[in-house]
Amino acid sequence: MIIEKFFNKWIMFFLILIPTFGVIFDEPYFITLATKVVILGIAGIGLNLALGYCGLISLGHAAFFGIGGYITGILSFHALNDEMLFSWPVVVSGSSEMLIIWPIAILVSALFSFIIGLLSLRTSGVYFIMITLAFAQMLYFFSISWPNYGGEDGLSIYMRNSFPMLNTMDPISFYIISLFWLLFSIFISLRLINSPFGMSFQAIKQNEERVKSVGIETFKVKLLVFVISGTITGLAGSLYTDLNRFVSPTVLDWHTSGEIMVFVILGGMARLYGPLVGAAFFIALEQTLGSYTENWQFWLGLILILVILYARSGILGLFDKKLKHEK
Amino acid sequence: MKNKILNIKNLSKSYGAFKVTDEIAIDLNFNEIHALIGPNGAGKSTLIKQIVGSVKHDIGSIVLDQEDITDLNDVERAKIGISRTFQVSSIIPKFSALDNIILSLLDKSKETFQLFKSIRKNKELVSKAKKILKEIELSDKSHILASELSHGERRKLEVGLALAMDPKVFLFDEPMAGLDESGTKMMINLFKKIKTNSPILLIEHDMDAVFALADRVSVINYGKIVATGTVDQIRSNVLVRDVYLGYEI
Repeated sequence: MIIEKFFNKWIMFFLILIPTFGVIFDEPYFITLATKVVILGIAGIGLNLALGYCGLISLGHAAFFGIGGYITGILSFHALNDEMLFSWPVVVSGSSEMLIIWPIAILVSALFSFIIGLLSLRTSGVYFIMITLAFAQMLYFFSISWPNYGGEDGLSIYMRNSFPMLNTMDPISFYIISLFWLLFSIFISLRLINSPFGMSFQAIKQNEERVKSVGIETFKVKLLVFVISGTITGLAGSLYTDLNRFVSPTVLDWHTSGEIMVFVILGGMARLYGPLVGAAFFIALEQTLGSYTENWQFWLGLILILVILYARSGILGLFDKKLKHEK
Repeated sequence: MKNKILNIKNLSKSYGAFKVTDEIAIDLNFNEIHALIGPNGAGKSTLIKQIVGSVKHDIGSIVLDQEDITDLNDVERAKIGISRTFQVSSIIPKFSALDNIILSLLDKSKETFQLFKSIRKNKELVSKAKKILKEIELSDKSHILASELSHGERRKLEVGLALAMDPKVFLFDEPMAGLDESGTKMMINLFKKIKTNSPILLIEHDMDAVFALADRVSVINYGKIVATGTVDQIRSNVLVRDVYLGYEI
């Protein structure tokens, strides 16, 4: 644990220094890549709450990632085209302000997480996996068949949404914004897992029957974890759209759910920085192996098999020598 | 009726043609330890599961403290005051002994949905949990992972989890199984002390412990209560000797 904490501090130190590297080596692409890692790390941190800490194997987190992404895309699209989003019963226009878009993306992701959680948490095990997958796929196919917002081709927003006193088109500025949300997500997760509520959902993962027997309403606990988890992933989706200035049905596809799950498993489930490390490893692999072969995912699969067989606590678990004695 | 805190009538459960519990009628008075004995497979644990609501009964009624709880689910029954131990130790393996007890205190102290308050800084909960660990003689193991406790220590921790809920009744399913002599003695003293606050329905195979503790004993066989009485009445009951005790008692 001590080594892991030390390693975590180095990760944070490194993340804070990235803009400096970008400037020194004059590599804005490096900063963009780091921003991608940070945003996907946030998505993984969201899933980690449900999957790593509560044992909810969700294959539907692409839905929340995509909802956050599409909310950002749609609001921005309407603002750029100066079109109303709704004209009845009230007039609602689009927005290109991040400070307006984020709360809406967060609220809508939370609402969808609540609805999907309410229905899917009545099941467990493989049925839960399938029902969350089904919800995400429903949204995926809906987005494909929605021509107003680009259908299968997706939606370009040309310019990043704006943030007061920052040029969001500047890679360093946008990286700082994303890093703020990463730190915020880590802070929220840390507070949650050390709270009485966190104790409840971590106990549910280990022995739900026992938790019920001490009078804790496990359904409500799981639902709230699922909503918080989905909301954080939705926020990541919103940032991802701004990063790429584009959103397409791909973000809602089950591959996205699978990738977010891979970040969590690679980095280490139920480890605060695990998804961030997993996302960094994934992107590094994509960039390095991807330049040699189109089939880089074959090697990713191989690594994933090795992690599952020999390092179940993920990459961060390798730095945790006191795992057995840790809560 | 006023003297009864738990009153079970006509409780039956069948799996196909096999009746696990057959029109069970059993009650629990205030300040009482009521032991339920019988051979393996007689239906004792299934009866406990039906009382706590984890197994749904086919017919019958359960009244706790003059409130009909027949239609409540397992969590609602736990909240209302039924606390149990499991036949096979059921703990949170990756939590320390102290955290297991704290978990059990959460609902009663309405802390479950405290999202951002650190549990370590809740001195009241921690102090209550430590007090319970002291009662079950596990103070020196408070920071050991539950999965690393010995079998006997886990049984004690199970009882600690039940104690922490401060319930109206305890349902203890073989709490002394696997305990050494001093552990059994500790349990006997503890049960004698706690029964004045919350009576106990006790399933136990250790007949010495049963006879030392029970105010009343019921004998179950093939899902039916075949006898109920004081320890002396049960000891001298010919039918009970036939089905369970044998003639050497």
